[in-house]
Amino acid sequence: MSNTSQKPTVAMTMGDPAGIGPEICALAALSPAVTDRVNTFVIGDAKRMEEAVSILAEAGRFHARPTVRSIQEPGDATYQPGVIEVLNLGNVPSGLPWGELSAAAGQCAYDYIDKAVALAVEHTIDAICTAPLNKEAWKLAGVPYPGHTEALAALSGSPSSAMMLVNRGLRVVHVTTHVSLKEAIALATKDRVLGRIRLTATSLERFGVAKPRIAVAGLNPHAGEGGLFGDEEQTEIIPAVEAAQAEGINASGPWPPDSIYARAASGEFDVVIAMYHDQGHIAIKMLGFDTGINVTLGLPILRTSVDHGTAFDIAGKGVAREKSMVEAMLVAADFLAAR
Amino acid sequence: MTAIDKPILALTMGDPAGIGPEITARAVVDREVFEVARPIVVGDASILEDAIRFSGLQAEVRTIARPEDAQFQFGVIEVLDLGLMDVSRLQLGQVQAEAGAAAFGYIRKAIELAMSGAVDAVVTAPINKESLKAAAVPYIGHTEMFADLTGAKDEMTMFSILNVKIFFLTRHVSLAEACKLVTKERVLAGIEKSLNALRQLGYDNPHLAVAGLNPHAGEHGLFGTEEVEGVTPAVREAQARGWHVTGPVPADSVFHMARMGRFDAVLSLYHDQGHIAAKVMDFERTVSVTLGLPILRTSVDHGTAFDIAGKGIASPVSMIEAVKVGAQYAKAGVKLT
Repeated sequence: MSNTSQKPTVAMTMGDPAGIGPEICALAALSPAVTDRVNTFVIGDAKRMEEAVSILAEAGRFHARPTVRSIQEPGDATYQPGVIEVLNLGNVPSGLPWGELSAAAGQCAYDYIDKAVALAVEHTIDAICTAPLNKEAWKLAGVPYPGHTEALAALSGSPSSAMMLVNRGLRVVHVTTHVSLKEAIALATKDRVLGRIRLTATSLERFGVAKPRIAVAGLNPHAGEGGLFGDEEQTEIIPAVEAAQAEGINASGPWPPDSIYARAASGEFDVVIAMYHDQGHIAIKMLGFDTGINVTLGLPILRTSVDHGTAFDIAGKGVAREKSMVEAMLVAADFLAAR
Repeated sequence: MTAIDKPILALTMGDPAGIGPEITARAVVDREVFEVARPIVVGDASILEDAIRFSGLQAEVRTIARPEDAQFQFGVIEVLDLGLMDVSRLQLGQVQAEAGAAAFGYIRKAIELAMSGAVDAVVTAPINKESLKAAAVPYIGHTEMFADLTGAKDEMTMFSILNVKIFFLTRHVSLAEACKLVTKERVLAGIEKSLNALRQLGYDNPHLAVAGLNPHAGEHGLFGTEEVEGVTPAVREAQARGWHVTGPVPADSVFHMARMGRFDAVLSLYHDQGHIAAKVMDFERTVSVTLGLPILRTSVDHGTAFDIAGKGIASPVSMIEAVKVGAQYAKAGVKLT
C-alpha cells in the first residue's frame, strides 16, 4: 500500500441520517478499492455511524467488526485500515428512527454539506463524495435550496452548475432534464447547447482532462439526416458546435444519437452532451444499474455523488448496497490522479 | 442438425464499395453459421474474391446459376453471380452510381428468390443511401424496397438483441413529429402489432412493456401529458382485452428490465429510445427484423463503413448474428405477415 500522505483526501458526507447514508458510508470507507487510492473520513455523526456499524455487523456484512473513531479536525485523521473516522458534528438526536422523514435529519444532512464545502474550498480536502439526502426533509428543515447541486453552487459561490452522469467509461452532460420531451425539444437552443459545452469543457479541464473530446449528440434520428427528419441540428446544434470550436474547444457533432453513446463508452470521446433526459439516461443505465454516479460541474471543488436516493424503505436494516458510493469515490480518485 | 433441416438463406452482398462483401464472406465461412444455415450469396463473384483476398480468408468462391445448384460445403462461398459490377471498376469506400445500382439489383433478385420459395429468408448487408441516390434507385432504403417489391402495406421493424425484442411506434420522423404521433389509437395499434409478431415468433402469452415518452414516464403529468392522454389509456384498453401489457414504464429503466427478463419485448415510442438501448446493450448484436412482409428478412443494423472498407478489418459479428436470427426464425416457419 502506498504512503497515506501521498494519497488525496476525499471526504464523504453522511447524508440524511435516517436513510441508507450511514450504512453505505461505513461500507465504502472500509472498501480496499477505495482506501488503496484515497484517504477518507466521514463528515457526519459518530454515534449514528456506530449504530450503522452495529446493524451491519449484525447483518453479517463484516469479516471483522470495524472501529468508529470520532475526530474533531481533519488533521486528527490517521487513516488506519479497519477504522472508520468520523469528523463528528454530533448533531443527530439520539433515538432518531431509521427510514422516517424529519426536519431534524434534513438539517443534519445540510450541516454536513456546509462543512464539507468549507473544507474543500480551503483545500483541507481534495474532493467531496456525498451520500443521499432527502429533499422533503430539507424542505421541512427550511433549508433554502431544493437539493445538493443548488446548495453546493451557492455555498461555493458558483454562478452556474450542472450534473455530469458517469457510468463506467461513459460520461454524459444534459442540456435539459426534468421537462417534457416537447419542452426539451424547444429548449435545445444554440445558447443552451453552447453553454453546456463551455461548462463541460472548463470543468473537465479543471478536473485534469486536457482538451476534453466533447461529442454533441443530435436531437433527431440520425441527427436529422441533413434536415430530412427535423431541422434543430441545422438551426441550433451545428451553430453551437461551430461556435465552441471557434473558441478552441474540442467539440464535435451533432452525432447520430443512436451510436454516439456506445462509441463514447468505448473510449472514443471523454463526454457526450445529451439533448434530453432519456437520451442520456437510457445509455447510462444500460451500462449498469448500480454503478452510475454523478459529478457536479461548474464548482471550484470536485464533488461526486451516488445516483440513488435515501431508500427509507431499507434504511437501518443492514441490506443497503454500497456499490454506487464506492464507484463515486473511485471516480473522484480517477480525476484526482489525473490532476 | 442435418443439412435438410437447415434453412436456405439468401445473403445480399450490400454496396460493393462498403464492408458488405467482406462481412458477407466472413459470415458464410463461419462455423456457427454453417451449423444452422445453408447460405447463398446474391452478388458479384469477382468482388467477393477480392474481399477474400484482402481479408486473408481461407475460402473458395463457387459461382452458381440457380439456388438448386448449391452444394453447401463448409469453406465454399456459393454466389449467384449477377454480373452487375466488376471489381476492376470498383472504388472501395466511394459513393458510385454503379455500386448503388448493383446493391439494388442484389436485393431485387433475393426478394424474387424468397417470393418464389427458392430460399427461406433474406439477410441483407448494408447499402449506401447516397449511392442509391446516385443510381436513381427509387427507394431510400431496404425497408421501402422490401415493402414495395413484396406488395406489403404495413411493414414494421423489430430489433432482436440478446434476449430482448424491441418494436418501434415511429422511426424516421423528427422527434417533434414523433411526440405528436403518440396517441391512444396509434399506441394501441402498435401494441397489437407487436403482440401479433411475438406470437408468431413463438411466444404463447408474450409480455410487452410500453416505454414512456417523457422523463420518468411523465410522473403523472408533471413533465408532459402524452402518457396520461395516450399511452396509459392504450395500455388499459390492451389489458382489458386480456393482453399481457405493462406501461408506460420509464424509458431509462424499461430496456434494462427487459434485459433482466421482466418483459419479452419493449414498444419504443420513437427511434432513438430503442436504438440507443440496443446499441449500448450490445453494439454488434443488434439485428433488425422486418415484419409485415410475405417473406422473412433480417439485417445488420450498421452502415457501409466506407472509412474501413477494403482493409479486411470489418467485424462480421453483426452479419453472423443476422444470419443466425434469420435461420432461427426461418426454421420455426415464421411468416410474419
